[in-house]
Amino acid sequence: MGAGYFAELLVGGLAIGCVYSLVALGFAMIIRATGIIHFAQGELLMLGSMVALSAMWVLPKLPAIAVLVCGMLAGGVLAVAMEFLVYRPLRLRRVPLMNVITATVGMSILCINAARIIWGSEPLRYPELFATSAYEFLGLRVSPQLVWIMVFGVILMGLLQLFLRHTRTGLVMQAVAQDADAAQLMGANLTRIMVYTFAISGMMAGAAGVMVGSLFFSFFEMGFVTGLKGFVAATLGGLGSLAGAMLGGILFGLIETFSAVYVSSAYKDGIGMVLLIVILLFLPSGLVGLWKGRR
Amino acid sequence: MSAPPLASVTAPPAMASRVATAVVLVALLALPFFQPHQFVLHMLALVAISATVALGLQLLLGFSGQLSIGQAAFYGIGAYTSALLTTKLGVPFLGALFAAGIVAAVTSLLMVPITRLTGAYLAVATLGFSILVYLFIKNEEWLTGGSFGFMGIPRASVFGTVLRNPGHAYLLCVVVAALVYFALAQLQRSRFGRAINAIRQNEDAARASGIPVTLLKSQCFVIAAFVAGLAGSLYAHQVRYLAPNDFTFWKSIEILIMVVIGGMGSLFGAVLGAAVVVLLPEVLREIGDYRMLVFGAVLMAVMLFGEAGVAGFLSAIGRRLGRALRSSGGDGGATQASAARKDRARA
Repeated sequence: MGAGYFAELLVGGLAIGCVYSLVALGFAMIIRATGIIHFAQGELLMLGSMVALSAMWVLPKLPAIAVLVCGMLAGGVLAVAMEFLVYRPLRLRRVPLMNVITATVGMSILCINAARIIWGSEPLRYPELFATSAYEFLGLRVSPQLVWIMVFGVILMGLLQLFLRHTRTGLVMQAVAQDADAAQLMGANLTRIMVYTFAISGMMAGAAGVMVGSLFFSFFEMGFVTGLKGFVAATLGGLGSLAGAMLGGILFGLIETFSAVYVSSAYKDGIGMVLLIVILLFLPSGLVGLWKGRR
Repeated sequence: MSAPPLASVTAPPAMASRVATAVVLVALLALPFFQPHQFVLHMLALVAISATVALGLQLLLGFSGQLSIGQAAFYGIGAYTSALLTTKLGVPFLGALFAAGIVAAVTSLLMVPITRLTGAYLAVATLGFSILVYLFIKNEEWLTGGSFGFMGIPRASVFGTVLRNPGHAYLLCVVVAALVYFALAQLQRSRFGRAINAIRQNEDAARASGIPVTLLKSQCFVIAAFVAGLAGSLYAHQVRYLAPNDFTFWKSIEILIMVVIGGMGSLFGAVLGAAVVVLLPEVLREIGDYRMLVFGAVLMAVMLFGEAGVAGFLSAIGRRLGRALRSSGGDGGATQASAARKDRARA
């Protein structure tokens, strides 16, 4: 196990970590704004992946970036539809949060089965999105898929941060996440902010879907487990902050990749869980508690 | 229906609900004498088993307000414990049943430290635990048979009599579910029940009134795990074949759906919810591929009923029916008066 192999694992872990980060960001944004654990987040990932794949069937010459945008649009539009058709009516009737959370499970079941009917239950192969020959950095050979996933992941997360910090809408979204009532008194339009929150969460999930699809396969059950891992990653980082969600995602990807090789491949999902439980025991508000608690 | 009829759930109407419970229980116990189809009995036994797990989660979520999405772990531990004890060590069924509950409860002690967590953090931690248990069941082939599954589990037996008749096996499941139901109902009315209710409504206020919050919350966890273990044992001997896929994360979600769909905080709701979740996919079998699609849509629609769930919806219908009967005039006095009485007791 030389340095080359180690670097390969590192890149793989970082790439899959970026995917988890994108999903975790969606989870964290929705939880911060509404308190909902959005179990259909993984299904947004799956649907984004499927729609992007279908777009490539129609237009085989689509460049990678356009495919990614397709997935993001699909995820965003579907997330807004979910909010409009189901979650908002539930909120307006003032049903308890637990009911809305259970409704997201219902949404997830609905999406999985709709996708199975539309796209079938066989795993679908993605065409090559990126260059096929390995890149070389300092004598280390790295798969182009992984590199591009990392690049796109980092760009998306950077854009999101810019949007949240430097645009009016972004700042209002952060204010709503901190204290919805106070923000509303200051003139924030909660209804519109909810739509933005779901749209952005859906776009992140859709992008993650294209990335996972291009790495492995695209099939109707791909979303659920990936979504759960995203949720775990978001909690690992601390649901209170978006930086925590990103950090948690990348950490979770690295832990999973390295423990599969160095500890046990049968228990690779378990090691992340053990770490999660231990971290939550000592830092009940996730990793972000580390530096927030020091203030 | 504007606001969810909360009062009917949190303060159960004494007489009417007792009569209703007794009627349902007698009907369920009498069912085998009408010799229904074997499949019907099997499905109803599965409903009783699911109702048992759901009752445990109702204590945890509905009474004490702790969201666990890992009950399938304890269900699975109970099932495999019972299967192992009866096949490998020749322990009689009733002993294995209790052992399954105890082992599940003891395992849940591992989880006691995490009862400090709340909301989504608690949910994730229980989820993590259930994934660990699933991986253990799947990978430790020497103990559990791994992905091949665990075969050759004997039928349940009571004091040396093997329950070959599906009607008897069904009765066993119903009796255990009923015992758990009444034990939890007793618990709900006790000092313990009032204390955990206080914790659910306002943890800080409860702590300030001298309620040992962490202790009581952990006790709820252990009781719910014990009940899930019992149900797991019943499942093992009812189906007589266990596979790791019976105890995935989906199972935990299913148990959660039962509790929420039936009505949070209502034991009767947990039973109703179990019936809906187990039977609805069977009823929908005719529409084939669209079955789970419809199930998801129904689940979302039921969430509109609010906290009281199907149980609250039914009692609201009952109220309206009573009102309609009363206003329709004076004929058919007896049934009408009793309906009105029931209705008044409910309101």
